[in-house]
Amino acid sequence: MFNLSELENDALVEIFNIGVGQAASSMSAIVNEPVRMSVPSISFMNRAEAGRLLAGREATQERICGVSQHYEGAFRTEAILMFPEDKSLEIVRLMVGEAVPLKELTEMEQEAMCEIGNIILNSCVGTLANIFQRELQGSLPRYHIGTSDEILTASGSQADTVLLLHIDFVLEKHQIHGYVAFILDMSALHDLKEQINLYIARAMGQA
Amino acid sequence: MDAHLQHRLQLLESVLCAVNVGAIVLDSERRIVLWNTWMARHSARSGEEMVGQDFFAVFPELRGQRVDTAIQQALYNNFPSLLSQTLNKAPFPLFAQPGVDCERLQQAVEVSPVTAPDAPRYCLIQINDVSIAVGRERLLREQAMVLRSQTFSDGLTGIANRRHFDVAMEKEHRRAKRGCLPLSLLMIDIDNFKAYNDHYGHQKGDQCLIQVAAALAGILKRPADLMARYGGEEFAIILPDTDVEQASLMAEALRLRASELAIPHERSSSDLRQVTVSIGIATQQHDRPVDISTLIGAADRALYQAKRGGRNRIHSCLPD
Repeated sequence: MFNLSELENDALVEIFNIGVGQAASSMSAIVNEPVRMSVPSISFMNRAEAGRLLAGREATQERICGVSQHYEGAFRTEAILMFPEDKSLEIVRLMVGEAVPLKELTEMEQEAMCEIGNIILNSCVGTLANIFQRELQGSLPRYHIGTSDEILTASGSQADTVLLLHIDFVLEKHQIHGYVAFILDMSALHDLKEQINLYIARAMGQA
Repeated sequence: MDAHLQHRLQLLESVLCAVNVGAIVLDSERRIVLWNTWMARHSARSGEEMVGQDFFAVFPELRGQRVDTAIQQALYNNFPSLLSQTLNKAPFPLFAQPGVDCERLQQAVEVSPVTAPDAPRYCLIQINDVSIAVGRERLLREQAMVLRSQTFSDGLTGIANRRHFDVAMEKEHRRAKRGCLPLSLLMIDIDNFKAYNDHYGHQKGDQCLIQVAAALAGILKRPADLMARYGGEEFAIILPDTDVEQASLMAEALRLRASELAIPHERSSSDLRQVTVSIGIATQQHDRPVDISTLIGAADRALYQAKRGGRNRIHSCLPD
């Protein structure tokens, strides 16, 4: 499997933490309450492993709620924010402050979830792009619900490697754990590694 | 420019103007370069009037808001943004019939980068009217609320039960914190109720509870005020956006209303020989939010003080 050196890994975790930090402050401004987000760790795996990890331990596959956006430019990737369905209900309702919960996200709540995804994904990818001093184009967010396998393949991308970010989201004493997956092909992985090394070299004053 | 190209450009502009969605195009300096017919219809400001103007001179209240961030994302990062109706309450002053309606159209907004050859990036703001979908969901929620309220009311008195109180308290507490509003809580206890039950029997006791609950609930006028049976002969009232003075006035009105019922009570500890209530008041000040349990604790303490002070009175405590 594709791997990063410890230094490269730390640099990428740091970049993503800057990204979700910005996303958290945007969301805080929307709800007028403190929102905290962090990326404790990242890992590379293939799509099948990612599917199994997201599905959880239970035999019955839990439904996952996903918001995806396609990016291309300096590298090409499908980015997907994912939460177990019950957690996505919790996040949206905490953000919206709605007192009458229904069993599933309503159309309007799905749109709110898309906005949350849009903020988080644009911040993560935007920070990457800025730090790499490159430009990317993004699509508008799309909402998905289904098993982890269905969501990881919904984009239609054939690439097999998944860069998985663990995301901790804290709002009003609730801590919610979710994931952002970047689906990358070999050339995108190569570009990413190259960009990280350029960044490290710049940070260390070698370029 | 050749005639064919000229014709095509005019056609494209006409199409943009005809689409049934609001479209605004900004240049890299955030000047308005396109303002379509839909926008003109719902804002009562024509394209001729708007084109060339600075976007934030037209909508100064949007500066620094989410729309501003989204425009920056589009112009500088090349990323599109979605502003959902739910998380962004109608950012643009648009109306079904401007000048007639006072409620804004419910809006879902998309802000996308637009590239043109040999020019800095533009940005397209699309505004969808989602009022119908919002109305449909409101109806759905109201129906869910009606269904739920059947499991949310107290079987004896018909007012809200403890579960309803807990949910409402959670909601109002969050609303107060977010909106920087005060929130008051009243704890009400019927004086010497055990003695009443012992003397008159449980059936009379139940009737007394029903009568007092109905009379006190009748005083509440605002839809968000909620009276619940908290337990036994104890009631709680949530008063959103109510400061200490207003809460005390309300408590005094409630106390008076209970004694006006003039329900005889031979075993009352006071000379009145009537059913009376004691009321504890706790108010969370707008700038000093506390936990729900702290607020309830303060109201309980205040009620205890009112009892100790001789009953048939109100007392207030600040939560700390």
